[in-house]
Amino acid sequence: MRGRTLIVGPNFSGRSRALMNLLRATSDVPASFFVGPYAEAALSGLSSVVADEIRIYQSSDVSSSKADFSPLDFTSLSDRKPQTLSGGEQVLLALHCFSRSAYQSIAIDVALEQLDGANRALALDYLGGSSRQEFDVVLTDNRLDGPLPHWSCTEQTNESATFACDLPALANHLLPQHAGPLAIHDLHFGYRNGRTILRGADLTLEPGAAHRLLGPNGAGKTTLLKILVGVLTPSSGRISLDGVCYEPARTGNRAIALATQNPDHQWCGATLREDVTRRRSTLTRRIDMPPPADERIARLGRDLGFPSLDQPLYELPLAARKRLSWLWPFSGALPWIMLDEPTIGQDRDTRRELALVVRRLCALGYGIIFVTHDDDFAAQVPHRRIAIENMTISTS
Amino acid sequence: MRQRQLTPSGAVAFGLILIIAAMASAGVAGLALLAALCAAFAFLEVGAASAIALKRSLALVIPLALFMLIVWVGIVGRSPAEIAAGTSGSRAAALFHVALVCARLFLIASVLQLIMARFALTPPLGFIAALRVPLVCKRLLVFTLSLVETFQHAIDRAHTALVACGLLTSRGSLRNLLHAWVLVQTVWLTAITIVVGRLRDKWPIENTLAQLDRALARGAQRTLSRHDLIWLPLALAAAVFAIGAR
Repeated sequence: MRGRTLIVGPNFSGRSRALMNLLRATSDVPASFFVGPYAEAALSGLSSVVADEIRIYQSSDVSSSKADFSPLDFTSLSDRKPQTLSGGEQVLLALHCFSRSAYQSIAIDVALEQLDGANRALALDYLGGSSRQEFDVVLTDNRLDGPLPHWSCTEQTNESATFACDLPALANHLLPQHAGPLAIHDLHFGYRNGRTILRGADLTLEPGAAHRLLGPNGAGKTTLLKILVGVLTPSSGRISLDGVCYEPARTGNRAIALATQNPDHQWCGATLREDVTRRRSTLTRRIDMPPPADERIARLGRDLGFPSLDQPLYELPLAARKRLSWLWPFSGALPWIMLDEPTIGQDRDTRRELALVVRRLCALGYGIIFVTHDDDFAAQVPHRRIAIENMTISTS
Repeated sequence: MRQRQLTPSGAVAFGLILIIAAMASAGVAGLALLAALCAAFAFLEVGAASAIALKRSLALVIPLALFMLIVWVGIVGRSPAEIAAGTSGSRAAALFHVALVCARLFLIASVLQLIMARFALTPPLGFIAALRVPLVCKRLLVFTLSLVETFQHAIDRAHTALVACGLLTSRGSLRNLLHAWVLVQTVWLTAITIVVGRLRDKWPIENTLAQLDRALARGAQRTLSRHDLIWLPLALAAAVFAIGAR
């Protein structure tokens, strides 16, 4: 491995495998820094706080030092647990650790897709914006179709039809819904460590439309989604659904299907069948909202590229798990759908078809909230912008 | 020049001596001396954070004290020594026994909490790296902490998944009781997948454990500080007295 290499290709074409092979085949590089798509493959897992994560990788050899990459103030984050950082912040921390380390090569597997526009530009510039060569880079990234200046490009062709999905067919079989308006009133929320995320936030979300949640890494986008599904309880303020007070933290989530940023944060079982069975059990006593039938779930599974529902979820590749995370939101079980970074790990064709599905869901009456740093995807979905920054929410 | 401040090694040795002495001491006088030394340590080394450390120790000991009071004073009505001697015994003796056990436990908990409070601003890895123990022991400590963190993270992730899908609620509910087993199953599955993710991808490519070894070796403090050399002899003297005094 020498220089900067971008590995491109469609999903399941073997990009991640090619990246690993490139690292392992190189005998003159003893070890490379690796940033995988999510925390367990981006951070060491050996540290309790951010300061320790940096300490593990810190090089004592001045001669091996590289330019420092510090887009965040890591000193102020030093006593935070690494896993409590947002997905984007974790990637930035990993890159910061690399910049302090003695490693002379880095491999990044779609992790940069979690960064907001400004941080992504900084990261790409650090990795290879200039011709000055300090270290080797190998990168897979779905939002880069071709190499940047000074980069070489390796193209993977589609090896098999594994997990071939048919999102246009899925869009044709979606069921109509009647979602009510979802609103938050004077919402305040802060974490126990004293970090305030929302201060007096007001927002009304109308069904039949898509709402894009925007904000820099760590602003609180995922936190707001977690409040709306009842995982986090606001310190004060009110949520209403269809004009009626809605307390998901107390009564349970009965309105919103969430596809999380890391798909592994949403599974309720080891297989898709187990996961769906448990989700359906929460709807069995709902007359107004019957759970989706077996045939419907099986059909959605097939359209997403999974002929069998008994496949263990954790054995699937990331891109496949990410697609499967859409199954429950698209099943018609719940009127509101929240998609947290839905395009991570997805190739251009899948992203385009996903946009088609989201447009169709809006037309069918669902309320959609999506978080994405993928402007190309967002441009394909007519949406209202909701920005979270400095503890406030603004709309445009 | 010798460092002045208490070192992690000095604090751990001080704590171990006090804990062993508290467990082995037989009389009230010995425990009182250990408690006095502990109070001096709190005052001189820990300062205002001692109040929180002592509150936490109380919170740990009070439930056990209540349970022991019910069992030994309320139900049994005799001390274990009286039972062994076959005498009729008294509730006062049982109360004295409970008080002694709880005082001992409170002392042990306090020592641990005070040391944690003393080094609250030191990152865990920095604390472990500074210990004068073989590298393998430091590694073991880091792995233990890592496993604890992994389980905490797995609990958080599993809880998020189950609340988001409506199977659990964030606040207490009957639903949570009914589905507690699903949470347990999901936590285990999540913890395993997190660990497998690290072992399969991150660690082999990076040789992360070699990085850890280097980080642990970098922070080792070879000599004891002046404060260590004050507290350790005091702890040893108090331990000798506490174990010897009847």
